[in-house]
Amino acid sequence: MDTLSIFAGGFLELADPTVLAFMIIGFLVGTFFGAMPGLTSVLAIALLLPITYTIDVVPALVMSASIFMAGMYSGSITATTINIPGAPSSMMTAVEGHALMRRGKGANALGHAALGSMIGGSIGAVLLMAFMPVAADISLLIRTPGKFSLVLFALVVIIIVDRGAMAKGLVATLMGVMLATVGIDVLQPVPRFNFGTETLVQGIDIMPIVIGAFAISEVLIQAQNWRSSLGATLEKARDIKIRRRDFLPPMSEIREIGFFTYIKSAIIGYGIGILPGAGGSMAAFVSYAVARGGSRKPEEYGNGSRQGIAAAESGNNAMCGGAFVPMLMFGIPGDPTTAVVLGVLVINGLQPGPRLLENQADLLAPMFASLFVSALILIPLTLWLFGPYFVRIVSISKGLLYSAIAVVALVGSYVATYSVFQMSLAVMFGVLAFFMRKLKYSTVSLLLGFILGPDLEQYMRRSLSLSDGNPMVFLTSPDSLFFLCLTALFIYMILLRKKKPRGGGGRDGPDGSAQEA
Amino acid sequence: MSGNAGFLRLGVVFPLVLMVLTTIYFAAAFDIHAQFTPEGEMGPQHIPMLVSGLMYVALLVVLVQELRAPAAVAETEEGASLLRPVLVVAATAAYIWLFRPLGYALSTALFVAALFVVFKFETRRPLVFALYVVGVVAVFYGLFAGIFGVRLPTLIGDLI
Repeated sequence: MDTLSIFAGGFLELADPTVLAFMIIGFLVGTFFGAMPGLTSVLAIALLLPITYTIDVVPALVMSASIFMAGMYSGSITATTINIPGAPSSMMTAVEGHALMRRGKGANALGHAALGSMIGGSIGAVLLMAFMPVAADISLLIRTPGKFSLVLFALVVIIIVDRGAMAKGLVATLMGVMLATVGIDVLQPVPRFNFGTETLVQGIDIMPIVIGAFAISEVLIQAQNWRSSLGATLEKARDIKIRRRDFLPPMSEIREIGFFTYIKSAIIGYGIGILPGAGGSMAAFVSYAVARGGSRKPEEYGNGSRQGIAAAESGNNAMCGGAFVPMLMFGIPGDPTTAVVLGVLVINGLQPGPRLLENQADLLAPMFASLFVSALILIPLTLWLFGPYFVRIVSISKGLLYSAIAVVALVGSYVATYSVFQMSLAVMFGVLAFFMRKLKYSTVSLLLGFILGPDLEQYMRRSLSLSDGNPMVFLTSPDSLFFLCLTALFIYMILLRKKKPRGGGGRDGPDGSAQEA
Repeated sequence: MSGNAGFLRLGVVFPLVLMVLTTIYFAAAFDIHAQFTPEGEMGPQHIPMLVSGLMYVALLVVLVQELRAPAAVAETEEGASLLRPVLVVAATAAYIWLFRPLGYALSTALFVAALFVVFKFETRRPLVFALYVVGVVAVFYGLFAGIFGVRLPTLIGDLI
């Protein structure tokens, strides 16, 4: 009951003008970054990360949540209007939405996408608030060997979910783990890999990795592909006329889609959000596939199915709520955006775990409220206010946009610690991430390896220390055995079961440009 | 060097570079001396060694894949060249080098102007070009120094 009243208090916190302003600014920034092909909400939060050093933790978390929700929804705007998904999670919406757009029903498709996102996002946020106390209780039952197996499970899922490039996924994850070992050892006061320099004794901060992997590398990729056909497509799209009155989906269409479709997709999306590394693309794809499987009109799929749009958007926005569960309880991010939000928590001295909810629920409650309000109110409001101008907004010159991103990224790296060394590190990781993305190595895996590496090492060594070096402790401890069996089950399900045709479950965009899961 | 051929080679060169870096990392792991590690237990050097071993295996698999399927990596955009990214990195390096000595305003103006040239933004209209440069510098000065109260380096006085 206490926790519930704290969660309710989170909504009151949003009434504070400063917090409200951060939520709205975050939502608008997230909408822009999500709608703009090539930019993602991960990049938006990455650029926010240095700023969190100068603002309070509550506005920073509120802003992160609204960026996350907005970014997940707004990918559907360019997906529908110009058939270029703003984010990979809108791939299925592009298939159905653009088919409707060609039939002159673009505004109707955008309306259904917004409604699906609104319902899915709200359900995801409610499920998050409802199950967080339960998740906290469960996490208290997991002991050190179990925690090791859980982190191992997360890393294995992150690697195998990218079936097309598992070896590269493993390389990227191990690179992240290696970078995390630089600095003082996790258990003993022993410096590692500082190569005789004082600077590296403190280890590598998450910020230059995030800024480099998501911001600097994006600028470099755009510098290489600056004369793409996208500019011309956006120029042509400026003439598209969309009227506000067409946004509102008729009740008959909503009834035809079926309320159960929204709810089922939201639950699927939330469940997938809990899985580490799966993310919005998988949530949208699985929800879409399930809806198609149970549809009375499967022939509409691929030709402008409103049910397909509703399922995909409901699923990917509900994922936002699910992704926070493992991040807040175990420090295991469900997707790249929550990985960066984890950075926001750590910068502000908050350690994920069941104690976080017990002792600092008042700091988290406004973030949950922001997730809910963003889905329920800001998505339809933004569509109503800015819907007719979306395509013009995303037609902004790339030269201006990426130059501005480069300045924010670099100055942001400086302001975090007032150090040009951090700026240099961000550029170094940016160059590394540029080559990784060009060669189809996942930078998301690099980041998750960096975040989870120290936990993996710490829990492994502690478990072995407690069992006098006997590795059988991982099989004799019931919680550890459970997660090891779960890992084996996932390996079987994803790798060994008969391969099914794939749709849009990949993590990266066609050129690796979109790195959001 | 065409984009395809470049990245075809890069697909092989990149894991080789990582192999060299892994070797340096692996060698440095032997220099880690634990303060206390009871017999049979893992010390600070063991996980890095284990990770290095896994990395070698993964890199070997990647190398074999790259050598066996060269066509699979030849998916880069037509005409994609490394020239512009290299120019951006050079401009960024210069920016970092000059950021403190020249101060935020001047160094950022030069950096933004360099990026505008790389991205060919308004290069044919010098006045508009200059206005945009000043605009970007002013907007982010307002954001960082004005809104978030960050002390940015200056050349003279408090502003420039």
